[in-house]
Amino acid sequence: MELYIHSAGIISAAGSNNTDTFPARQEADVLYCAEPDYKDMIPPMQLRRMSKAVRIGIAASKMSLQQAGIEKPDAISVGTAMGCLQDTEFFLTKMTEQEEQMLTPTAFIQSTHNTVSGQIALLVGCYGHNLTYVHRGHSFEHAMINAVLYLQEQPGEQMLVGGIDELTTGSLKAMQLAGLYKDANNNGVVAGEGAAFFVASDTAVANTVCIKDIDCFTAYDMQEALQQVRRFAERNAIADADCWVNGMHGDERDGFYNALSTSLFSNVPVISFKQYCGEYATASSFALGLIVDAMKNGFSKYGIDKSIRKVVMVNHYKHYYSCWYMKIV
Amino acid sequence: MAQPAYIVNTGLITAIGNDTESCKASLLAERSGVGKAEYLQTHWKDEFPVAEVKASNEELAMKAGVAANWPRTALLSAVAVAEAWLPYADKLQGMRTGFISANTVGGMDLTEQVYKQFNQAPETVPMDNLRHHECGAGTQLVAQHFGFSGFVTTISTACSSSANSIMMAAQMIGNGMLDVAIAGGADSLSKFTLNGFNTLMILDKQPCQPFDNNRRGLNLGEGAGYLLLMSERAMKACDAIPIGIVSGYANANDAYHQTASSPDGRGNKLAMGNALKKAGLKAADISYINLHGTGTANNDSSEGKAVAAIFEDNVPFASSTKSYTGHTLGAAGGVEAVFSALSLQHGIVYPTLRWETQMEDVAFKPATTLQVGADIQHVLSNSFGFGGNCSSLVFSKA
Repeated sequence: MELYIHSAGIISAAGSNNTDTFPARQEADVLYCAEPDYKDMIPPMQLRRMSKAVRIGIAASKMSLQQAGIEKPDAISVGTAMGCLQDTEFFLTKMTEQEEQMLTPTAFIQSTHNTVSGQIALLVGCYGHNLTYVHRGHSFEHAMINAVLYLQEQPGEQMLVGGIDELTTGSLKAMQLAGLYKDANNNGVVAGEGAAFFVASDTAVANTVCIKDIDCFTAYDMQEALQQVRRFAERNAIADADCWVNGMHGDERDGFYNALSTSLFSNVPVISFKQYCGEYATASSFALGLIVDAMKNGFSKYGIDKSIRKVVMVNHYKHYYSCWYMKIV
Repeated sequence: MAQPAYIVNTGLITAIGNDTESCKASLLAERSGVGKAEYLQTHWKDEFPVAEVKASNEELAMKAGVAANWPRTALLSAVAVAEAWLPYADKLQGMRTGFISANTVGGMDLTEQVYKQFNQAPETVPMDNLRHHECGAGTQLVAQHFGFSGFVTTISTACSSSANSIMMAAQMIGNGMLDVAIAGGADSLSKFTLNGFNTLMILDKQPCQPFDNNRRGLNLGEGAGYLLLMSERAMKACDAIPIGIVSGYANANDAYHQTASSPDGRGNKLAMGNALKKAGLKAADISYINLHGTGTANNDSSEGKAVAAIFEDNVPFASSTKSYTGHTLGAAGGVEAVFSALSLQHGIVYPTLRWETQMEDVAFKPATTLQVGADIQHVLSNSFGFGGNCSSLVFSKA
């Protein structure tokens, strides 16, 4: 596959990629997005009705479209594991507290998982193909695979592809109880959220990130996961990668990444991206955004001074793994 | 040139039957599944009829051989996947098999039971009620149960969700990424969706009357529908006889309103027109249209105008099977794909139930008389939803 990424729009706890300070690392157990000034991106009347998921999704989309120099894409493909949690929780709370009485439609209307992709289409007037993937830790990867499928049939078109997940007090609590996010006893990983959108096409342009391969797999055992990454590495001959980007989050589960850094990537400069965005199901979209940004503004902010051509990204969210092989062309 | 995706088998469960054969029998008997909820515990039980699958979670779990604490959506999915997949499971060794599913409610049926308690004292809530809340969780449960370890995904585009699964499966078989795909979707009834649709004031207090001038709204339904799709190579390897092929597909966006369709059905027209183009067919080639036909004032008017714009004065047989199954939301595209396959296979035109009065703003009349053994060469199936998502599929004789 060859999918060219022409631009990125990122909203994250580390800020937005249209500022000089990106990525600004925050020290906290819960990394909420540093939201931008929406003034130039979303009409104020509409902004008031938007939940966080919708507004960060739309702002990230607008940023990536602007950077690519286009008003509207030909098609839209979005990955979101949890969808619009804030509106879902609002409607659920009212429904359960009010015993199914006196409910209003707004939150329900905006609670569907395709709200973000639908609202983008509405705002920019995009009548084209529009899909939303909701497959847990592979949601964003599948939105990318959909872009490949779409562009095979519609070569030359430009597709907006993004990953988005919001964190709410309810989801934070539920995932602390489930053992994922850091709780009062300091067990678990740093919680995160964010939106990262991209303009992608099958057309090569100088100074773009070209995605050459994405492998998604589930694994319940570290050896099985490592084996799968090794197969990916062989398939793509990536032993000589210039840089690897990983989803290490600084807890005991990092054995997987540690094993890779002492074997496959023992002499390869590394960027660990979850210190900036926290852990969430579509965090790989932040990682891709970080790579696109670094290609443009330099890898030196990550202490890497050599020229970067070949990048590998390895991430997992729970037992959902993905390996990405990219070339800077 | 893309290779065709052959429809080899189907799996179905709806309010009118627990498998393809029993659903077909109900359709031929013109038996509706709309009635009073027995399993869904809601304040609105006596107010709004629903098209509920006639089985408890325990019975569904037993039938599928899985745990009864799964979300109902996953249980429905497992039952229908078992029907489509199991007869071929042993014959497809070494084939790249994908499971492409869809839903809109995920594990909401379990979450909503404990949500009040979760807001008050989250630590006291049984994790089993929250564990499978995400839409992707049910897909993964089913994938693990059947041992689908290749490409597995979940799509959620409201009421068009599972039409998009079938589109994606056809693309992946078409370009050689998969040899076999189980594609479709599932959705169970939940208080969340019933109350949500109630706030929109589009639920009918009586059994719905799609494409009738005096229609009052939709009935929510539940179910699951899947197609077992194969490349020619996979089909030959297991000596299967195809029911038909997925010949066309298209996905478009109405970009008009979050929940309402544009008055002239712009997205609907784009989806139908592009699906015909993809299939290399003219409008006149379509023998039967399985309409989205929810029974709401808005949908049927927009869809009707879009159909009239595409087919002009020659609208083929067209009907809404939601008058039997209710609107099964994320499952609808899959359920109606199975009905479309049956239509190709047996030459069936399903009558729209309870139709009485011609719509004022749409000139064609929906099919109201059952036909079996009609010459059905190509079927168009529409699925439109919230978020402006519009998808159309074309199924053709192999």
